[in-house]
Parts: sequence; structure tokens; C-alpha cells
Amino acid sequence: MGTGFSRSADRAQRGRAVSAPVLRRTVSAGAARRTVSRAVLAAAAVLALLPVLFLVSLSLRGVDDISNGGWLPSQVRWDNWPAAFHTVPLAQMLANSWLIAVGATLLTVLIAVPTAYLTARGGRRGARLYSLLLAAYCAPPVVAVLPLYFLLKSVGLTNSVLGLALVDGLANVPVAVWLLDGFVRRVPRELEEAAWVDGLSVAAGVRRVVLPLVLPGLVAASLVCFFLAYNEFLFAVSFSQSPSAQPLTVGLSLFQGDRTVQFGQQAAASLVAVVPVYLLAVAAQRLLVGGLSQGAVK
Amino acid sequence: MTESTLVRARWSDVASASRRPRAWRAVPLWMALPGAVSLLVTAGYPTVVGIALAFTRSSLARPLRAFVGFDNFVAAAESVAFAGSLLRSAVFAVLATSLSVAAGVAAAVALDARGGRFGLLGTVLLLPMVTPPVSVGVAWKLLLAPVGGAFTGLWDVLGISGFNPLGSGVGAFSTLLVMHAWQWTPLVALLVYAALLGVPTELREAAALDGAGWARTLVSVVGPQVAPSVLAAAVLELVIAFKVFDLIVVVTSGGPGVSTTVASFEVFRTAFRGSFEVGTAAAETLLLGVLVGAVLAVAGLVTRRVRDADQ
Repeated sequence: MGTGFSRSADRAQRGRAVSAPVLRRTVSAGAARRTVSRAVLAAAAVLALLPVLFLVSLSLRGVDDISNGGWLPSQVRWDNWPAAFHTVPLAQMLANSWLIAVGATLLTVLIAVPTAYLTARGGRRGARLYSLLLAAYCAPPVVAVLPLYFLLKSVGLTNSVLGLALVDGLANVPVAVWLLDGFVRRVPRELEEAAWVDGLSVAAGVRRVVLPLVLPGLVAASLVCFFLAYNEFLFAVSFSQSPSAQPLTVGLSLFQGDRTVQFGQQAAASLVAVVPVYLLAVAAQRLLVGGLSQGAVK
Repeated sequence: MTESTLVRARWSDVASASRRPRAWRAVPLWMALPGAVSLLVTAGYPTVVGIALAFTRSSLARPLRAFVGFDNFVAAAESVAFAGSLLRSAVFAVLATSLSVAAGVAAAVALDARGGRFGLLGTVLLLPMVTPPVSVGVAWKLLLAPVGGAFTGLWDVLGISGFNPLGSGVGAFSTLLVMHAWQWTPLVALLVYAALLGVPTELREAAALDGAGWARTLVSVVGPQVAPSVLAAAVLELVIAFKVFDLIVVVTSGGPGVSTTVASFEVFRTAFRGSFEVGTAAAETLLLGVLVGAVLAVAGLVTRRVRDADQ
């Protein structure tokens, strides 16, 4: 202990001795570093926005304007937008996407809350369930497509928004549990114990003590699961053949199969899919970032 | 009398507090039910039926018609498109992971060095992650189109007019890698940035007082602290990259030739497009499952070793 103390005192002295010139150097180096990082990040931000901004430009241009190349419209025109809604039943598909995503998220959250409580507080049994869920998440979803197709068909839920909501909701449970588990672990056990002493059951304690404390995590997990269900494509294209049950992602891929497709319409349709998630992500930025980073770093 | 019950109550409190570790109440069994059911539907049932499908002759209309032994596996092995697709999937997963981890760590370090709040810039950097992959494919495909794309002017200047990055096998594969990394780099950046924020300031200060520069501190002090998070992000990226499907459908449909036909796309094509060979597709999914399991087992082993060495 004595040596440790003297070493730290020695270090402090050394620090003080060199402080003036070294400090000036590190400050200027820090400023340079900050400038470089800002430049790198600005370039990254441009790269992150570029493809979607190009879509915006394409969606406002006519066929000739597009084939002439260039970044910006020579003349802004809006007719691609209504045209895209005629080529493919976009409005119906947008509604389907929202129904599927909202339904799936509700289901995921309902299942994930008790499950995450179990994985965080259930000792060895909880740990086992946690690793089973993670293992299930690791398998590529294409592995489950054929069996799930036969299951949905046997209960009459192919070509159905409800069927897709159920499948997406169940498939996203591991992600929600993974994110929530860390939040539940950080709830002090004493708070729950106090609730029990007051006569609450374990389940009531989860509802009245744990749930309010993990709410930020719950919102973040819901958002992530909403995005996953809204963006889902493999199950949707495998289980629904009729436009009445197809989400937007399938509609966009249909554009692709059409040889005579117009870039402008395709761009407009893609933006119809992108805009809602971007708005949601920007609006809930802080919650999303907090939930993802806190949940994952344990 | 009231006093004595009060005393008794206090005594029981003390008693329960003194054996707290054992008094921690068991999680009621019904709480396991929702999770167990969802596992059963999304993992247990598909595994059993998948195996059954792989050893029988089936059609989409009528599954499990007759036991055929290993015929489906022979058909899978003889399929030119599938045999190579396993390797393509593995190569894609490893390269995509390397690319997005390298770029993501760089972005995280830059965010950390910039200081200040995550803010609007951080949000913009995260947007690719929430973009529907189908839209990502459409956007990049249009961006790179030989006619009407964003770079036609650049190609003219470089003397390669009409250049199509998706025209050759290697070009298409690399372009898909870039698109996928574009979407999933932000996840690494976010996770590593969060880990960087978690490094105690005292550690950095101590390193600075010891005369270590910024780079030296980053490599020798901060690096080991965030290594487990970087590895966890890498494993996550590996898992995500093995799932790639939407991009392939939208951008290349597996072409040119079979150069971008990864396993998940080939399984889908075998089962739902053209030939509807359900048995063969099921056999292929089993083989893909084994491959992914093997790669992740190795990745998990490496992660655990690093974590153990750290503690």
C-alpha cells in the first residue's frame, strides 16, 4: 500500500513538473484531432445520406432528365409520386406494413417482458433460456421459412396480415429479450424485495416496480422490433402472394421485376417506405441510442 | 398484544434479511411460458419439421409424402448453384463483418475524439441501420446504374463510360458487400462508442500523466477495455451477414451467373421459385444451419477466450 501511494504521489509530481509545455502541446494536438474527427464524421454523414438523397432527386425527375444523368433535377416534377401509387397498390401495402409492424411489436413486447425478467432473475434456468433464445436468433430465418409456411397454411394464415404479424412478432422476441435483459439486471433487487415485504407477488412486483424502471429500455426495444418487422422481407415474400396482404417491402421488390419500370417511380415508392422509419428514428433518437447502447453493453 | 405482533414482525424481517440469498423469491413458472412458446414455434417446430422435410418427398401443396432417405441431400450436393452458395455465404459474412467492424470502430473512435454529444450527427450516422434493406438495394442500384446513375459523369471522366459495377461477378459481389456494410456499420459504431464512453476517465488520465500520447492510450489502455464489446459487435455482424437475402433479391437476383447466389437466396429460390423442390430446399437449410452453427461456434470460442483473458 505504501509503495502504491508513493508511486501515485510520484506520478502526480511528474505530471505537475511537465504540466505547462506538455499541456499546451496536448491541447493543440487535441484540437487537431477533433478537427480531423469532425471531417471524417462529416464525410461519413454524407455517405450515410447519399443514396437516399439521390432517391429524392430521382423521384422529382422525368425519364429523359434521369437518363441525361447528373445529381439534381433540371426541372422539378411531382408526377412520379401519384404514378407510383397506381403502378403498385402502395397505399394498401403501406397500411399492411404498419398493421404488421405494430401488431408484431405488441406481441413481441408482451412476450419479451416476462421472458426478460426470467432471463435476468431466474438464475441458472434463466441463463439457459437466454442462451437458447440467442441461439435461435443466430439461425438465418430462411431455415424456418418452409416449416412456418406449412404451419401458417394449415391454420389458414398464409396471405394474411395477421399471419405475418404473428410470425414477425415471435421471430423478434430474442432481440427484445437481449435488449431488455440488461435493463432488468440494473434494477436494484432491494426495490423488489421491499415490494414483496409490502405484500406484492413477484408478478405484481414486475408490473409495479420493475416495469416503470425499465420503461426507457422497453421503448427502445419496441422501436427496434418495430423497425425489424416493418423492414422484414423474407417471410412477407414467402407467405403472402396477394397484394391485399403484402407489405411495402414486397411491393418494392415487385417494381424490380418489371422491366419497363421507371426509375423515378421506383425511387418515389422506396421513399414511401423510408420516410416513416426515418421520422420515427429521428424523433426517438435519444431513447433509441440509449436503449441500444445500454442494453448491449453489460 | 399489538406490541408483540410488531416485535414478531420485526423479527421475521430480520430473519428474512439475514438469509437474503436464499429468500430471493423464485420466478413463477408461468413467466417462462410465453418465451417457451415463442421458442417452440420459431425454433423447435421448424427444426423438427425441417429435418422431416429433408428426408421426405414433399410439394408445397402436400408436405411429407414419402420417405426418401438421403435423396434430397444428394440433390442439394449435385446442385451447382447450392454447392458454391455455402462458400459464398461464408465469404460474404466474414468480409462484410471485417468491413463493417473496421469502419464502425473508426467511426466510434472519431465520435469519441470529437467529444460533445451524440446529437444530430450521430442520428444521421445511424439512419442506414433503420432503412428497409429493400430500399437500400433500390437506392444503391439506382445510384450505380450505368444509365441515369449518379456516377455516369465520373465514369466518363475516368474513361470507362457506361461502367456497371454489377456487370461482373466480382464487381457485383463486392458492391453487395459495400451496400451491406453501409447498412450495418452504424450498429458497430454505436455499440463501440457506448463502450468507449464506459471506459473510466481515470484510466485515460493516468495514461496521459504517464506520458502516453493519444494513439498509445487508445491502443494500450482503451483498446483492451473495449475489446469484448468490439468482439460482441463482430459476432452480431457475422450473424446478420449470414442472413443477407433482401439485397440479393433486389439488386442482383443471384447473378450475374451464380456469382452472388448466397445460401439463403438459393434455398428460397429452390423452395418458392421455379422448381418448388421442397425436399431439396429443406436439406439445403439443414446444411446451411450446420455451417452457420460451426462458424458461430468458432466465433463464440474466440470471444469467450478474450473475455476470460480479460478477467
